[in-house]
Amino acid sequence: MAHSLSGNTGSLSILAGAQNGISEEEARIVRGLRAGIESAYQELIDRYEQPIFNMVYRLLGNQTDACDVVQEVFLKVFRSVHSFREQSSLRTWIYRIAVNEAHNHRRWFARHCRHEVPLEKDRPDHDYSIELAQDPGRSPYDQALDSETRAIVERALTKINPLFRTAVVLRDIQNMSYEEIADILQISLGTVKSRILRGREALRRELNQQSSPGLAEALA
Amino acid sequence: MNCWIAKRRSTNFIDGRLRERERARIVKHLNECQSCANEFEQMRLVRSTLRRLSPVKSPAHLRAALQVAASRERQAIAEGAWSTVRRVWNRWLFRLDDSMRPITLPATGGLVSSILLFGALSVTIGTTTRVSDYEVPIMYADHWGANLVPVQLRSSVVLTLNLDGKGRITEYEVRDGSDSFIGDTARLQYNNIAVPDFPSVLAVAQPISRGISISFTPIVYRQ
Repeated sequence: MAHSLSGNTGSLSILAGAQNGISEEEARIVRGLRAGIESAYQELIDRYEQPIFNMVYRLLGNQTDACDVVQEVFLKVFRSVHSFREQSSLRTWIYRIAVNEAHNHRRWFARHCRHEVPLEKDRPDHDYSIELAQDPGRSPYDQALDSETRAIVERALTKINPLFRTAVVLRDIQNMSYEEIADILQISLGTVKSRILRGREALRRELNQQSSPGLAEALA
Repeated sequence: MNCWIAKRRSTNFIDGRLRERERARIVKHLNECQSCANEFEQMRLVRSTLRRLSPVKSPAHLRAALQVAASRERQAIAEGAWSTVRRVWNRWLFRLDDSMRPITLPATGGLVSSILLFGALSVTIGTTTRVSDYEVPIMYADHWGANLVPVQLRSSVVLTLNLDGKGRITEYEVRDGSDSFIGDTARLQYNNIAVPDFPSVLAVAQPISRGISISFTPIVYRQ
């Protein structure tokens, strides 16, 4: 099923293969949320807390900020579920709120806190307090390499344009389809492709600048 | 295919979204162009590296905070419609209070002033009422006919009225000097003398039940 509407002044895509509407499972959760049923709230948190935190963390690059934003996202979901029109899937709707909240937070932070000096003078490149959901079957070497790679890639991610970063994170980390990304960001499919392309190119350039023997091995 | 087109289609190529024919054309170009081949390979590595990134586990306190927030929201919903009614009621009360507060003092002052004013006037009204207890002696709207004196006027006359205790004319006599009564009884209805009411007189005199003599200059009353 593919529909595409585009005009001279802009474009609106009802996107090919996008998950339009809400599934029966999600509708059940939404009804539960509206009725104030505890299990529905718990199910929503179980389903979306981890992936939303993961995405927001990738967009902001800071655990504390990510926690704040995720709480804001869920509060908005709880309070706005009565006005959720079910024209998109629940997952798309929640991710859309999360992306917008993350962007708002980043803009607010840039406007208000850009001149603040952190207490810790030399902020570490990598926040080692964050716990990784690691595969227990991997060797210590692989885990160390993974940690190193992750630090390098995360640092590079923070340096590219936020618009491109969002598209790349949704596609390559959250593993979403182009159509779903277009629905979340409310942009056309062509814009999604363009942003992913430019994001990957920017990331490639950043990683090339930070190239090291370890990185080459990590990327290989 | 040139490098520019190949680069534009790199995203679809890497993500496996190209048809077989288009894909074959790009593969052919990559075999011929080492620069594009290197770039595509680096893009593919970037993508695979991002996909291999381990998910970041959310801190335990975040889940606790979300559950607390959920509990509060459920509690708000559990209060149900009454909370909505109360919220609307409180909003209207607030608006009413907000709009009335500025005029409360002037309105109270106006009310007190009105009470004082009418209280003072009530003394006057009581006095007036006492004065008006005297019935109008000569003219009554109800007894207009009784107060009309049927006299055909030819000269100055002296009208002698006999009044009852309420001031109504019971008998009258008209003198013009020589005769005691002159008049054409057939034309009495057309030549009347109206005895006017003088309210100011009532302030200093009371009706009597005896005869009153009043001198008149000729007045023609027309109906």
